[in-house]
Amino acid sequence: MKTYAILIDTSYCTGCNTCSYRCIQEFRSHTQATNGLFRTFVAINDGGLYHKRCMHCFDPECVKVCPVNALSKSEYGPVLYDQEKCIGCQSCVKACPFSIPQYDEKTQKILKCSLCAHRIAENKEPACAEACPTGAIQFGESKAILGKAKEIAKKRKMTIYGLSEASGTHTYILTIGSPKKAGYIDVKKGVPKIKKSSIESIGAMPIVAGAIIGGLKKLEERKRKIAEENKNKD
Amino acid sequence: MADGISKNKDLTRRDFLKFVATTGAIASLSSFPFKNLEAQAPFGKHPQEKPIYQIKKKIPQVCARACEADCAYYVIVAHDPVTNLERAITLEGRPEDPVSNGKFCIKGLAFVDSIYDPDRLMVALKRTNPKKGTDNDPGWVTIKTEDAVNEIIQSLKKFKPEEILMCSPGDPYTNKLARSLGVTRSDQRTECFGTHYYINCLTLTNPPNKYYSSTYTPSHHVAGYDYDNAKYQIWFGFDSLSKCGKAGMLVHWKNAKKNGCKVVVFNPLRTPLADAFATEIYSIKPGTDLAVALAMMNIIIKDKLYNVKFLKDYTDAPALVDMKTKLTIKTKEGALMAWCETHKKAEPIDVCHKPVMEGGPYKLTIDNKEYEVKPILQYIKDTVKAYTPEWASKISEVKESVIIKVAKEFANAKPYAFIPTYKRDAAGPNYANSWRLRHAINILNTLTGSIDHEGGVILLHDVKIPWLEDLAKPVKPYPEQPKEPVDFRNMFPVTDEIYKNKDFSAPGHYGMVGWGLYKTQKTKAVFFRNPYRGLYAMIQPQMVEASLEKMDLVVDWNLYLDDIGYWSDYVIPAPHQFEEGKFDIRLYYPKWPCYVGGSPVQKSPGDQIGWGSLAVKIGMALAPEYWTTDGSGDPNKRVPLNMSDHALKNAGIASNTAEFMNKGGFWINKKKYENYKTIREIGYGRPNGRVRMFIDEFKKVDFEPVPVWAQRWHDAKGEYKFSMLITRAPWIMHADPNFINNPVLRKITEKNYMDCVWINQEAAKEIGVKEGDMVVLENNPEFLKELPRPVKAKVHITNRMLRKDCVLLFHGIGHRAKNLKVAGNWGYRDGDLIPQKDPNIVKKHDPTGMGWVEDVYVSIKKA
Repeated sequence: MKTYAILIDTSYCTGCNTCSYRCIQEFRSHTQATNGLFRTFVAINDGGLYHKRCMHCFDPECVKVCPVNALSKSEYGPVLYDQEKCIGCQSCVKACPFSIPQYDEKTQKILKCSLCAHRIAENKEPACAEACPTGAIQFGESKAILGKAKEIAKKRKMTIYGLSEASGTHTYILTIGSPKKAGYIDVKKGVPKIKKSSIESIGAMPIVAGAIIGGLKKLEERKRKIAEENKNKD
Repeated sequence: MADGISKNKDLTRRDFLKFVATTGAIASLSSFPFKNLEAQAPFGKHPQEKPIYQIKKKIPQVCARACEADCAYYVIVAHDPVTNLERAITLEGRPEDPVSNGKFCIKGLAFVDSIYDPDRLMVALKRTNPKKGTDNDPGWVTIKTEDAVNEIIQSLKKFKPEEILMCSPGDPYTNKLARSLGVTRSDQRTECFGTHYYINCLTLTNPPNKYYSSTYTPSHHVAGYDYDNAKYQIWFGFDSLSKCGKAGMLVHWKNAKKNGCKVVVFNPLRTPLADAFATEIYSIKPGTDLAVALAMMNIIIKDKLYNVKFLKDYTDAPALVDMKTKLTIKTKEGALMAWCETHKKAEPIDVCHKPVMEGGPYKLTIDNKEYEVKPILQYIKDTVKAYTPEWASKISEVKESVIIKVAKEFANAKPYAFIPTYKRDAAGPNYANSWRLRHAINILNTLTGSIDHEGGVILLHDVKIPWLEDLAKPVKPYPEQPKEPVDFRNMFPVTDEIYKNKDFSAPGHYGMVGWGLYKTQKTKAVFFRNPYRGLYAMIQPQMVEASLEKMDLVVDWNLYLDDIGYWSDYVIPAPHQFEEGKFDIRLYYPKWPCYVGGSPVQKSPGDQIGWGSLAVKIGMALAPEYWTTDGSGDPNKRVPLNMSDHALKNAGIASNTAEFMNKGGFWINKKKYENYKTIREIGYGRPNGRVRMFIDEFKKVDFEPVPVWAQRWHDAKGEYKFSMLITRAPWIMHADPNFINNPVLRKITEKNYMDCVWINQEAAKEIGVKEGDMVVLENNPEFLKELPRPVKAKVHITNRMLRKDCVLLFHGIGHRAKNLKVAGNWGYRDGDLIPQKDPNIVKKHDPTGMGWVEDVYVSIKKA
């Protein structure tokens, strides 16, 4: 099955936070945002732009520590969160090396990005990627996205944050100079733990959109199949 | 044991914590089973894979009031799971829109939520407590809007026209109302657009011209920038933080970067916009950009790097100037004259086949009078000769070698090289000499031949939205305007001429209207029209507040009860901008003729009245002869208002707006841009229109006709040594409650320290403050003599401030209306530190009366 990833080229980001607000509208999370809880947020720091958001690790610590299976790593990339299952223990908050899950004291639940899994199912990009005015945020099939990230990094001498941090993630953030300077947390690096087929033969991939559509169609087909099966069961 | 826990579906948080506590199990968390990549539920089963909302409708809309770009997009209406209501949820782009390219920004998104802001005004309010001000309870009583309007009409009847001030932008309805009543209209667009508008009028566009439209956003730019195809751009402080969030511009800067355009930035502040799009960034001493621009003019002309063909054929470069009067020589018919190299005599510029652009003086005789003349290019060359790179370097603290390199690179990239400027940059109205810098920029863009050329300054063409007067000509001339308007525009003939005789919708003299209200006390009634929130958001509002306290009648038409309301007698509720239809042209990327429309997302939920309806009601009551087609005042013969219907019909696009909207509300003709065609149609001397570099009108009021370096009125002195730079957060526009009363935007502002004042480490050390300390900023009482109001703010120390002699303030916060739950009493107000202007001082420094005549310098002390 194809996997998906996000690429953030901070050299095209101006810190406008259109991504943050579009995310809030998508998830109807105005109340949490008012209390300072964002699924994604851009901090305009002195050393660059810090996109604080879930990295969707290949081998997520949050998933490992969740005592109730509220967090799970999907086959296609995103780390998903089931609010109903969550007991608010904050184990994930403590375990995440990127300090991403945020605990909402009012609801006693956590808040974090799902890579807009519900939109992927509808053949749409995540809301942040669709809204980004400069195209700094791009979404697509992991192979193509990683290929693109590597190509840009090589051409413009940029660093890819998220490539080997925490043994690899589905979020690639391109920074000029050290990511740490821009605010990204220094996370232990390791060899990416992912099936070889997902990231191999990267090379110079063609534009991402075609690959997304192909993958999304598959998802959509699968979704339809399941719906049909359920219908038959009924 | 751990397995048991993870499988226990009914485990509560309390149970879990109890368990952890009893087993001391924090450490044991890592021993929980490794569940990564465990078998998933079938796709679509996970709660996060299920749709959050179902889209019911996509309604075309056009942004307005969030910035000048006016992106076209769809408002998405869906069932909202939080409120359980069908409502506007978010936006979706229109990729076909040449301005937005299918994008929108955070401010556009915030408009969606402001529809439902609980602080929105739903009913008309009438004051019962005569004591005004934010510290007094107005004793509001609610009143039917219709009754309030009738009462206001009755009150207005008591005043003479010269006693009434309309504080409103020059939209078609306001224009007609102000003209038919014979009252002064003065608005905030001096702040926003004044400098650009008037310098453009004087050099490029000569209004009214065939493309001069009654646009929805009355910014009147008919010049945009083809960033996408440019090869070289210079940004003089153009990269303000406010521009970091303008989608209609960002998409084009992105294209420029992708296409390899070189962008050179001069700014004492390093912005994320420069981080993203600048090829080179140079720190510059604030207020000295003009010196660099003048030195660039010098280099380009001295080294003959200019675009010869463009200058000869499409500009006044060959036109002759009388060296005695410093005015251009004209034929009896008013045409400019040129010196013919072949015939060795002066000839009308459009007839002369071989005009010279340099040399002289030449001698010529007209009507037995002898003149010594020089071509304009030579005149400019002589003027800028003293402005060497070395001279500019000493003033600006930019290296001489950089100035030379940039000037040459810029000229060599012609005609794909230009200097863009909008509001809030160095050539905006917020700085001394900004009008001269704007003039110098237009000359530099002329020297490269980038004006009316692809990859350069592109001009609006082949679209037109008529004015109300175009639909029904008034039966008799409008009454005379007040002889001594409260904004002193009569003291500035250069711009007053344009306002009175060419474009009544032109910006008023905002920088002095507060002074006029306070000092003359001639005005007895003021009518504010949202978005005139600028009056309180902008300079020295304390002067306006003091004058409004004594006013007989103050009316505000507004979406909110904001701080103007605390000085108002009536506040009339206005619809949200998404509750109105729209019809617009694409001013900010006018490469192709294009019209876009918008439909109301919903009916206004309260007792609101639209501005058009309100203006018509007042007009019909107080000046019916101008609001009826035959002057009879018969309500059945009211003047037609369907401007968009006429525009669409005239262009053969649709028979009316309804049909246009049914077809999707979008029309574009993607023909190839015809270089240098439009300047002929709208420039000076049309139908053979040219760009003017030399402005006779300036000379007539004793200013130089071309830009020169001039002493500023307000300079650093003693402890008042911090040059005040102004910007705003990318997600806030003026002090508009649409944004600052939004709790999410407030949080984003605070998290990015944009409710603070920014200084650098060196400055902080000098003042003795650390991050988060409170400081007090004060203007020099020598320059702000009356009603001082020091500003108290939190300090943010950042290396984005490249110089220690600057402080950055964020405009648009500091609202004082107590009823606004989020915006009320949040942050500081930059405008408190900037003086309203004595027109006699302005007159000495700026013939347009438009810009501020000072760079404000303030002291900073630990609170």
